[in-house]
Amino acid sequence: MTVGSAAPAAGGGGRLAGRTALITGAARGLGRACALAFAREGADLLLLDVAGELPGVPYPLGSSSQLAHTGRLCREAGSAVLTRQADVRDLAALESAAEAAEERFGRIDVLVNNAGIAAPSGRPAHEITEAEWQLMIDVDLGGAWRAIRAVGGRMAAQGSGSIVNIASTAGLVGYRHFAGYVAAKHGLVGLTKAVALDYAPRKVRVNAVCPGSVRDDEAMEGRMLAEIARSLEVPVAGHETAFVRDQPMNALVEPGDVADAVLWLASDESRQVTGSVVTVDGGFTAR
Amino acid sequence: MPPAHHALTVRLPPAATGTALAAALTAAAELWWPGERLPRLWTETVAAPAGSDAAARRREAEARRPVAPGHRLRAVLLRYADGAGADLGPDLVLTADGAALDARSLRTVARVLRGELPPDAVTPHDGPLPLSPRLDGETRLHASALAVTVGRHTGAAWVRVAVPVPARDRPPYALGALDGYAVFAADLSPGRTVADLLATEPLTPAEGDEGGVVTLSDDPDTMSVPDRHVGRVRQQLLDLPPNTPLSALDPLSASESVEQLTLGVTPKAPAPGVTPKAPAPLRIDEAFAAQAAARPDAPALTAGPTTLSYAELDTRAEELADGLYAHGVRPGDLVGLCLPRSADLVAAMLGILKADAVHVPLDPEHPADRRERIARDAGVRLTVEDPAVLTGHPPRPAAERQGAGAPAYVIHTSGSTGRPKGVLVPHANVTALVDAVRDDFGLCPDDTWTCFHSAAFDFSVWEIWGALLTGGRLVVVDHWTTRSPRDFHALLVRERVSVLSQTPSAFTQLAAADRAAHVAPAPRLVVLGGEPLDARTLLDWFDRHPEDRCRLVNMYGITETTVHVTAATVTRREALTGSRSVGRALPGWSVRVLDPHGRPVPPGAPGEIHVGGAGVALGYLNRPALTAERFVPDVLDPAGRLYRSGDLGRLLADGSLEHLGRIDDQVKVRGFRIEPGEIRHVLLEDPAVSAAAVTVTGGEGGDAAAVRIDAYVVPAPGAGEDPGPVRERAARLLPPHMVPATVTVLPALPLTANGKLDPARLPTPGTRRAPAAAPRATAPATVLAGIWQEVLGVEAVGPDDDFWDLGGNSLYAIRIGTLARERGLPGVPLRQLYLTPTLGALSEALAQEA
Repeated sequence: MTVGSAAPAAGGGGRLAGRTALITGAARGLGRACALAFAREGADLLLLDVAGELPGVPYPLGSSSQLAHTGRLCREAGSAVLTRQADVRDLAALESAAEAAEERFGRIDVLVNNAGIAAPSGRPAHEITEAEWQLMIDVDLGGAWRAIRAVGGRMAAQGSGSIVNIASTAGLVGYRHFAGYVAAKHGLVGLTKAVALDYAPRKVRVNAVCPGSVRDDEAMEGRMLAEIARSLEVPVAGHETAFVRDQPMNALVEPGDVADAVLWLASDESRQVTGSVVTVDGGFTAR
Repeated sequence: MPPAHHALTVRLPPAATGTALAAALTAAAELWWPGERLPRLWTETVAAPAGSDAAARRREAEARRPVAPGHRLRAVLLRYADGAGADLGPDLVLTADGAALDARSLRTVARVLRGELPPDAVTPHDGPLPLSPRLDGETRLHASALAVTVGRHTGAAWVRVAVPVPARDRPPYALGALDGYAVFAADLSPGRTVADLLATEPLTPAEGDEGGVVTLSDDPDTMSVPDRHVGRVRQQLLDLPPNTPLSALDPLSASESVEQLTLGVTPKAPAPGVTPKAPAPLRIDEAFAAQAAARPDAPALTAGPTTLSYAELDTRAEELADGLYAHGVRPGDLVGLCLPRSADLVAAMLGILKADAVHVPLDPEHPADRRERIARDAGVRLTVEDPAVLTGHPPRPAAERQGAGAPAYVIHTSGSTGRPKGVLVPHANVTALVDAVRDDFGLCPDDTWTCFHSAAFDFSVWEIWGALLTGGRLVVVDHWTTRSPRDFHALLVRERVSVLSQTPSAFTQLAAADRAAHVAPAPRLVVLGGEPLDARTLLDWFDRHPEDRCRLVNMYGITETTVHVTAATVTRREALTGSRSVGRALPGWSVRVLDPHGRPVPPGAPGEIHVGGAGVALGYLNRPALTAERFVPDVLDPAGRLYRSGDLGRLLADGSLEHLGRIDDQVKVRGFRIEPGEIRHVLLEDPAVSAAAVTVTGGEGGDAAAVRIDAYVVPAPGAGEDPGPVRERAARLLPPHMVPATVTVLPALPLTANGKLDPARLPTPGTRRAPAAAPRATAPATVLAGIWQEVLGVEAVGPDDDFWDLGGNSLYAIRIGTLARERGLPGVPLRQLYLTPTLGALSEALAQEA
């Protein structure tokens, strides 16, 4: 995979040296890409993932083996790593994870709300069941709020911190037959702006990243794009070509491209950036 | 003052297991801190061998992390890639909140976890125990060495060191934050000895002791001064007899001292293609003769409508030299020179040198009594007041003149005692000065210079000989024009002046006139000198005169070292950063920053500026004791001497000098140093302020309450005249003891005849405001009366009121002229105010003009 142009942290330096980051959905995909980018820049990590199946989600989510593998890769890059199994619908689990991270690392500097599901989707609004709607909102929107609830107070107390919510271009524009997902991601962008104002006086920054079509990188074991394709009943074998057709830059977004944006928002380089949305979509929403 | 947290890393035996260690930690914590949250044992696998850099970084990172709020202790077990099965055990990193466990408690915890001590042998304690602020010999020595070193680096005479001290009644194996700090208050003032310092009794910290204390630490990285300096002083404290004065201690090594001494030396650049052997220095009149021979018809001197060529100036100077001989002037004689700025002033100066005599300029603007006393003290043969008496005499006999080492002029500077001191400067210094900058400044026959300054102020030495020894043309600026920034500005345009020399104060006024003018002069070089420059005031100038068209050079100098010492090109960068650097020494000059004992100060530390090299004067005329005091031997050059400037400075790593003001100006109260320069700096940062001055009075007795700081500001164009916001802003940026008591708004700062700030003419502090919207009458006389009231701050004026009696001065006159133009009246030339100083007469004169 490619993680931008940032050179591996030499010596004890790095753009996140001495920082601690908590990343949800870290077993694979964008979560793993962010974890690795952070590890290379000197951060220590608490990696969370549901690491198991979620009833109602029609595809396999991250496994504990994948979470352990992310942890191993980060340790090899020089990080101290704690991994925890946690469902973002479980506030108590998130609070206990935050407490552990603080006890182990002394403080939490960065929260990346990456956990999210793309399906059940693929049907018009009137065909979505109550349970399917609830599940989507609960994971993709409620999950981010719960993690903020668990971590935000600590950041506010220490007077610093950066929260990055991984939304989507679905947080900016609509997608046919993705009502629940689009509603949840729009909600996440709104949550970002409101919480940014809550914490601005305490110097805790809150921003959103809106990735477009991200390629399912083998090394990251991503499968989001494939699942979106499946929901749209696009043949999975040729789905990448189908998505590239909509990309002004004629290429899919790489996980490392998104991780670079997250890294920037996590670091002090963006110290006056809060309540903002960074779109990484190869120009998709510019049209 | 306990540290926020501290950490201890211990190697465990290879057999140590995480399970056993976790059990030991839990058992011990339950015993020591029942009911509290149990500390966990965290295990971290490091994907690198124990001896690798990655592992070392990991250990450092673990030790540096704070403990989570509400936790006493964190235990992290570090396992390494090469740890399994080897005879290498894992590392245990213990980190504790400084307010919960002190360093010794942490060692006790480690011993328990290693199984060397049963947990029930350890007693937890709450709260502090009485401290034993008695220091052991080693700690005392270390604190003393640190204090001396810090004192030498900061110039402070009092240094307070926070020393960790153990609790007095600490039982063995006690756990808690039982230790504390004592304050070792070191008195380093003159006369104190090694024994005095080592006998200092440490104090228990008092409320509010946190500020201004240096902490004694084992970690060199946390020290504010180099460890090797502390080590060297420590050794000296051990080796030297107890009655050694502290001033004899030196933190610098011999090589560091030499490095500091040579850092500010700029060698004389050998001319390209010429053997390094320097040609014999020339006399001023010889160097002039060379220029006159090379280009006899080139213009040399413009005064009013008349311009003399080099040949004409030479002829006139010869004639005056003959006249001097006829009046009994012989080689080596001192000749007073009291002429207004004019062609004959320059010709007479040259004539005196041609007569192999020494000129003693006497400013005709100075009071006659002062001039007489200077002439008498100097023992002048005669004083040239009327060149006419020197004309029409037969040629003097040809004679060999003295060498370039002979004195050329004596310029008097005011001394702190009030009695002016005559500085005796030889020919060679002046020709060396011109040669030192000729190439760098690109001085050439195409240049036109101004002679703006009084002959009694050595800035004019630079102007006159800078022009005439490089083939340039010198434009003499008459008295009235120097007093009117507007007229001077017009002269710069008219005469196409290319090299301009100004004091920063005068330049600020000139820049203001430039802002208001339609045409701009085009100097290619502006030399600022004579007083400290605040570069921020130049931003406006740069907007109109970009650096690539007009180079701006700030020069630090002293009469005793021949006008200039250092040069720094000032650009927008320096103006924006408010740089205090005055640059490196000129080629052939040197600057050293020395302590009161003549030793170099540590790198970057403040000290007294000493100047050596080609510009050092011969001494003070007829003042051998004072000469010996100020002109001291140079340890690096047995033939040379250094001039002790009395200025405070700092040498930067690149050898450039920062000028920090006069040593005498520093006011210290209860250890607080009041820096007028810093206050002025803050005032000038205010966009509403274009010039500022600060006075500090009443600090002599050391009584804080008696110290009074007053500020004077000139509003920026378009800014209001209410000093309130200026003071409020300063109060937000300055420490309370440095906030001015008053801020007085002035139309312009009063300058001396030499163009420097004149503190004596600053008004009594007040908060004078512009009168609120006085009704604007239209009759010229009424308008003028309104302007007088406003500028002079008087209630009412009548036609017979005299400008000077009402407290007028040249600056108010300039202000009146400006306001008059702004309000539709013809300008009021300064000269007119002298001629018709009453309001009625002035109104009449203006009415006739209109």
